[in-house]
Amino acid sequence: MTLPTIKALAISEQVTVVPRKRWFHHAKGRQAALINVALTLGSITMLVPFLWMVLTSLKSPAELAQFPPTFFPQEWMFSNYAATLDAAPFGLYFRNSFVIATTHTLITVVLGSMAGYALARIYFKGREAIFLAFIAMLMIPTYTKIVPQFLLVKFMPLFGGNDILGQGGSGWLDTWWALIIPGGLSASAIFLFRQFYLSLPKDLEEAARIDGLGEFRIFSQIYTPLIKPAIATVGLLTFQESWNNFLWPLLVTTSSDLRVIQVGLAVFQQLDNTQWQYLMAGTTMATVPMVILFIFAQKYFIQGFTNAGIK
Amino acid sequence: MTTTERHPIRGAEAAAAAKQASPSTAPKKRKRISAAEKKRRRAGWLMITPSVIHVGLWTLIPVIATFYLSFTDYGIFAAPKWIWFDNYVEMFNDAVFMQSIGNTIWYTFWTVPVSMAVAVVVAVLLNQGLKLQKFYRTAFFLPQVTATVAIAMVWLWIFNPQYGLLNAMLETIGLPGQAWLVDPKWALPAVILVGAWQGIGIKMLIYIAALQNIDESLYEAASLDGASSIRKFFSITVPMLKPATFFVFIISIIGAFQVFDQIYVLTDGGPANATTMMTYEVYRSAFQEFRMGMASAQSVVLFAFLLFVTLISRRVTKEED
Repeated sequence: MTLPTIKALAISEQVTVVPRKRWFHHAKGRQAALINVALTLGSITMLVPFLWMVLTSLKSPAELAQFPPTFFPQEWMFSNYAATLDAAPFGLYFRNSFVIATTHTLITVVLGSMAGYALARIYFKGREAIFLAFIAMLMIPTYTKIVPQFLLVKFMPLFGGNDILGQGGSGWLDTWWALIIPGGLSASAIFLFRQFYLSLPKDLEEAARIDGLGEFRIFSQIYTPLIKPAIATVGLLTFQESWNNFLWPLLVTTSSDLRVIQVGLAVFQQLDNTQWQYLMAGTTMATVPMVILFIFAQKYFIQGFTNAGIK
Repeated sequence: MTTTERHPIRGAEAAAAAKQASPSTAPKKRKRISAAEKKRRRAGWLMITPSVIHVGLWTLIPVIATFYLSFTDYGIFAAPKWIWFDNYVEMFNDAVFMQSIGNTIWYTFWTVPVSMAVAVVVAVLLNQGLKLQKFYRTAFFLPQVTATVAIAMVWLWIFNPQYGLLNAMLETIGLPGQAWLVDPKWALPAVILVGAWQGIGIKMLIYIAALQNIDESLYEAASLDGASSIRKFFSITVPMLKPATFFVFIISIIGAFQVFDQIYVLTDGGPANATTMMTYEVYRSAFQEFRMGMASAQSVVLFAFLLFVTLISRRVTKEED
């Protein structure tokens, strides 16, 4: 069998997820109208904070000091955004968050897919033990590892002035290493990849092996292209979690140069005399990338959130 | 992804996976291992080694260290001193930590059922094949994809006692405004409101997926018998959603117990510790008081709560099987 036929065969097996069924009884007439009203009211409740964020970011300080507040700005102050970038280096924070989230996504996709593939499709000694260990690690809450993670970073030998025993300096604290390495991979990503690779048919690898392909080529050229939707899903979830992450970057960085956008917001808010229009402009900048990403890649997000849950 | 608290999937995911841990490509008969097979196994090891090292270093070692440190007095600058159960004894005599346990339970008690109830109703309504379905789904899910810190900033402004939107709205309908986050009486309810609001999306999504797996013939049969929509909801949908409900319930509890970001932004645990949570106490002990041993002990208690929830869920699922 040639590569294209193998691929075609696998695609015909419908490897992707969540069958979308049409619901049997469609609502009609008055009932549909009522449902629409209820859902519209609900949606407004969900969206008002976002709308309020954007509207506030476009008001003048004088207008924000009015009570009751105006809903739409009397004067649309688009200049607030430029002023926000002057007031705090949100551009830099934005870039830092972007670099970190992208790197986390790349590391997770490359290492996670390899590990998931090995767990799903290669038999080797100790595989079950490793898998069970990963499962156990999945259940560890963030707060049960955060103190030693911080200590590991602080006492990282031979970095940041530390000697070989990790004493004397600050280790990885306040460095890119701390921001990128510990959060680079998670047991849950490996687990998700394993599930996706397991769902693929076995005859592919047998055929490929008869053709004399090595294991890395089977992984990279046959199976991985078939789970592109899964890669998108895991990648997007990783990007989103990394972009939204707050506590870890808060703990391991102090200098403004390494600040991520969520921490930047918190620091900006804690300054005296909160400038709400600037804070909301910053918040809008921190939120918009995720909103856009979600709207355009909704399918993958939803697959990811539900699939991870249901399987 | 190590340090997130919003990935609610872990525990239950794991429970599901443990069931199907059986290998798919298990060897048929391993009498002689061919050269090709050897090569394969080596490839397998090569592929998994980076992940094993990473998870080992950043999860396994930290967990073990947490348990060890919880029995020590450790302030980073001097070596840890073994003090047996002193941290635990002190913690359970500490009114603030006990209050944080109470607050965490109270927060969970309100956010989880409220957002679950909203989520199931929205999911059922969304499943009726409406034209605007996608828009509604996006609206309800949006708070889930945006950062908790950013969202909490907006709520901080909405709750502002002087200029806030919430007080303005209350006054238009003739209700008195409140000081919300600075009033010990209202701070926790305000935090709960944000938590419930943000938690609807993921639960709704899981319910939608579960609804799509319900056999449509059940509804057809009920329609033939002349059952009303409401009757169908309570007699078919609700019972059929029981496994999904249970699953959502567990992951929601696990998520709610780890609330942190919005506390940090909205209240700093105040006023007068009215909104402090177990996670927040861990943070305070470790990174404000630099008592690493105490923080570890507190995080062990948090872990015990979550383990308890997970084990109960396991037992219940087993009984149902």
